[in-house]
Amino acid sequence: MSKFLGLALGILAAIGGFVDIGDLVFNVSAGATFGYQLLWVVVVGVVGIIVYSEMCGRVAAVSGKAVFDAIRERVGFTPALGALLASEVVNLMTLAAEVGGVAISLQLLSGLPYRWLILLAIVGLAVIVWVTSFEWLERIFGYGGLCLLVFAVAAVKLDPAWGKVGKGFLPHLAQNNKLLYAYFAIGLLGAALTPYEVYFYSSGGIEDEWSPKELGLNRANAIIGYGLGGFLSFALMITGGALFLGHGISPEHLGTIALGAENPLGKTGLLLALVGILFAVGGASIDTVFSGAYNLAQFCGWEWGRYRHPRGAPRFTLTWLVLLVLALAIVMTGVDPVILTEYAVIFSVVALPLTYIPILLVANDKTYMGRYRNGRLANTLGLFYLVVIMVVALSAVPLMVLTNVGQN
Amino acid sequence: MKRVVLIAGALALAGCNGGTVDRHALTKDASTLDSIACEGALLAHDVAHGRTTAYFAREQAEELRIQSSNLADALSRRKTVRGIEKKVRKKAKDAARLASTLQRLHDHPTERAVGAAVEQVLKKAGSCP
Repeated sequence: MSKFLGLALGILAAIGGFVDIGDLVFNVSAGATFGYQLLWVVVVGVVGIIVYSEMCGRVAAVSGKAVFDAIRERVGFTPALGALLASEVVNLMTLAAEVGGVAISLQLLSGLPYRWLILLAIVGLAVIVWVTSFEWLERIFGYGGLCLLVFAVAAVKLDPAWGKVGKGFLPHLAQNNKLLYAYFAIGLLGAALTPYEVYFYSSGGIEDEWSPKELGLNRANAIIGYGLGGFLSFALMITGGALFLGHGISPEHLGTIALGAENPLGKTGLLLALVGILFAVGGASIDTVFSGAYNLAQFCGWEWGRYRHPRGAPRFTLTWLVLLVLALAIVMTGVDPVILTEYAVIFSVVALPLTYIPILLVANDKTYMGRYRNGRLANTLGLFYLVVIMVVALSAVPLMVLTNVGQN
Repeated sequence: MKRVVLIAGALALAGCNGGTVDRHALTKDASTLDSIACEGALLAHDVAHGRTTAYFAREQAEELRIQSSNLADALSRRKTVRGIEKKVRKKAKDAARLASTLQRLHDHPTERAVGAAVEQVLKKAGSCP
């Protein structure tokens, strides 16, 4: 039981990071536009995030340093400042989108006015983060988000063409609409490799007081947690392909995603989907708000961490409170959370190399890692994904412009 | 760097097309309207069969209504390229009709008979399968 509960960090990172509001919409939209053709991209993204999460979890367990600590030490002040600014902007955009997602989920469940629910979401998140230990935050949001498994049941109930689903796992190029296909592929990869996931994951490892003894747990967390995230992404994309493609529907609202579970499974499916979405976007809000506070605190050398009492790390506490207030201000302007998160995903892609190159460097550094430094397999995969990340980073913005943010 | 920014700006402006509706934009808007209608039909189907909650049906119908109403507004006001103005204005009327049909669903999210009637209207409007 305790081993199962110990996997909560990976599950929260995966549910909150891998299946946030952007992924929910991106995966279902990809299915609604290209059927099952982009399933292989999810596999590429899942393996990539597993490789790098395992690496940065290992760095945290062995050296006691989180990603941003390592970035500052390894690449120097100016590039680290660039990485900090880029990550904070993207974190804030994503946080605002996730808070909007929490409010929309609550609205679809309760019918109460959206703006009041934004306020409720922010106050609720602040109170939960203040009074709940890190361990229980992981458990509540990680395991609550498991309600999203209803989409796996929905996907099976919709009886997709399993032969076509199988073919979707084989890498291939699109026959037509190549630019839009490339945009979705880049978006899916960007969403899978979003930097805040590794910031949160590595700092979470330190919150959970990992040492080299927990390297097995780290590996299990990365593989099972993100593997589960990938499984949910498959289920969402298959639901999109089986239900919405056939009906000519382009999902643009969070509620449309829930309709994907309601149509085959009725009220129970709908309620599980809405609760799952609520916990997933709530978990992503926690991931992003903490990532923003972790990064700034680690960059500035402040005391940080939820394992301390809020008064024990006052600047860290003030940072996450300010981030919540800024997110409230952004989402109160009426900006569409779904559109906001799509921009956040694409812009985060540009910042990917600044996050992942230092992780690879530190994981190879004998002075940090000793005998736990990267082996041949980790380096081969790490380098392969670095090339993928560079290609993705260079093509993200041009594809966004050329496809009119996926609207073709 | 300046060159990259200029090229990106030019591409963005080309994408915006200065707010004028051309054939491509009309096709795109028409397919968005079909998508809204088909999603509305799916939702109405679930209302007709008692497979949804009142809150969800009401809020989702409202989202779709706002989207089609905004499209109706844009298509009735925006400039068009020569030769397609009639088609654009007709689409604006279709969008407005769609919005008022979705309003019915929003107002009666638990009435099965309304759900069934709205489903038929929306299926026809969006040429849904």
